[in-house]
Amino acid sequence: MRWVALGVAAGLALVASVVLGPAAVPLGELTRSDIVWSLRVPRAVLAFLVGGSLGVAGASLQALVRNPLADPFLLGLSGGAGLGAVVALAIHLSGPWALPLAAFAGALGALALVYRMGLVGGAALDPRILLLAGVAVGAFAAAITTAIVSLADAAELRNAFLWLWGGLSAASWDTVLVLVLYAPLPLAVLFAAARPLDLLALGEEPARYLGADVERVKRRVYLAASLLTAAAVAVSGVIGFVGLVVPHIARLAWGHRHRALLPAAFIGGGALLAIADTLARTVVAPRELPVGVVTALIGVPVFALLLRRWTIA
Amino acid sequence: MRGLLLASLLAVGCRPAADRQPVSGPLSVSDATGRTVSLAAPAQRIVSLLPSFTELLFAIGAGDHLVGRTAWCDYPPAARAVPSVGDGMPPNVEAVAAPRPDLVVLYHSGPNVTAAEQLARLKIPAVLVDLNRLEDLGPAVRMLGRLTGHEASAESLAAAMDSLASRPEAPAFTSIVFVVWDNPPIIIGRGSYLHQLAALAGARNVFDDVAVPSAQVSLETIAARNPEWVAVLSESAAAPAFAARREWRAVRAVREGRFLNLPGSLFGRPGPRSGQAVRELRARLEAAP
Repeated sequence: MRWVALGVAAGLALVASVVLGPAAVPLGELTRSDIVWSLRVPRAVLAFLVGGSLGVAGASLQALVRNPLADPFLLGLSGGAGLGAVVALAIHLSGPWALPLAAFAGALGALALVYRMGLVGGAALDPRILLLAGVAVGAFAAAITTAIVSLADAAELRNAFLWLWGGLSAASWDTVLVLVLYAPLPLAVLFAAARPLDLLALGEEPARYLGADVERVKRRVYLAASLLTAAAVAVSGVIGFVGLVVPHIARLAWGHRHRALLPAAFIGGGALLAIADTLARTVVAPRELPVGVVTALIGVPVFALLLRRWTIA
Repeated sequence: MRGLLLASLLAVGCRPAADRQPVSGPLSVSDATGRTVSLAAPAQRIVSLLPSFTELLFAIGAGDHLVGRTAWCDYPPAARAVPSVGDGMPPNVEAVAAPRPDLVVLYHSGPNVTAAEQLARLKIPAVLVDLNRLEDLGPAVRMLGRLTGHEASAESLAAAMDSLASRPEAPAFTSIVFVVWDNPPIIIGRGSYLHQLAALAGARNVFDDVAVPSAQVSLETIAARNPEWVAVLSESAAAPAFAARREWRAVRAVREGRFLNLPGSLFGRPGPRSGQAVRELRARLEAAP
């Protein structure tokens, strides 16, 4: 029943994001319209993939660091991506893919740094240190970014922040193809880690007694979730709340079993972002809202309702 | 120094009879924030913190009183000889105060209000001036003329600016979208100076229903409104980088390479050359096939 509801919601979200838009396209011309085929459909698919990736990354990271506040962007990735984008603009890297690639490289740099700092004694990944390192690296990258922006004399640099919070405007079949080729591997790694993540929730010691290779799981989950998030930043900027709220909503409905939780977070995250982006494009047309605003406006009340029901029950 | 003083006394003495201001006594104006700014005498040492003000001051003959400008002030060529006090975003108050100005002219914006308050603490008079659209030019020029004692030349420039601002829009023979940023797409709406330039040059801004100066829009809206031209503020003649991105190719003008690269120095700022900007824009729109 829950799965049917979720499936219907996801289907409706995708249909709505293709049918609805600021440009009036008659229903009869939907399949022939260039606007629909080259802009709306790839944007809907990209929204679904990015939202789903953020949902899964958030759910996995929350289990890994055993902290309900964990968000895919908490571990320094948004700071690294922002720094990458600003550096690309500052050194006048040109080309249509310069910014996304530079942001991806920046996110990978932050990821590597946080990972190295989190490896206590060179072997064990300590979730608490991982969190602190993530916040510290993120703050450091943001400081360098701000320094570059305020020292450089190109007003264009200020727009790097716009890019970073850009949302799904850059959607095209090219970006969809990149994500379709890239995302399955980290997603598969995370889905495969579902059982060990269940055990990890009990604590590292009990998980070890129950036969989980705790260190390997932690490393894999951290790297896969971060690589997924880095790709999401590169194609759509920092989109908040999906990776934080969707895993909690999924957990309230599906419980703590990751075998069900991770797919639910994927479909739920995808549906939320597709709906949020549709609203962002249409409610104030011809203007557009930043999609992160809409994800928060929808996600937080839903979350609050569920939280209330859950704590009363 | 004495020569300068003498020259200024002469300038004060030689002001036209039509000028009703008392020759002696403080000059006071009310600036964009409603504050009253008083000068004992016309300003002799001016720091201009906006390229438009620098151009206007030179145009009314007060250019030789400039002791500071922003890094962006590149016109007229003589402006480059004035020492720069930084990029002005936000103003570096110490650098602005260093040449001991007796007047600082700032664009009316949040950070500049703070800077003006700090300058006031240093007993340096600072005026905040609105300069967003063509109709702001006339009042701005008159104020600068009063503060610098160049009222006659300011009045004739202001009259020209007022007539440009009140000129009826030319019948549109083409359509245009101004793209400020590509991801997310940010365009120019009716509330902006660039919209006015286009309207006077005979190009309909396809986002004339957007009342604010600029706004984020969806790419599909640009594609559906199908402008003849995509205009960007750019010093180079090369097509913007987003022209090569696949999603932008849904816009016909992008596919056909119909870009207008407008140099920011002429087109990006309201000023004495606004009329020239309208003429050049029109000429470029007409020359194209």
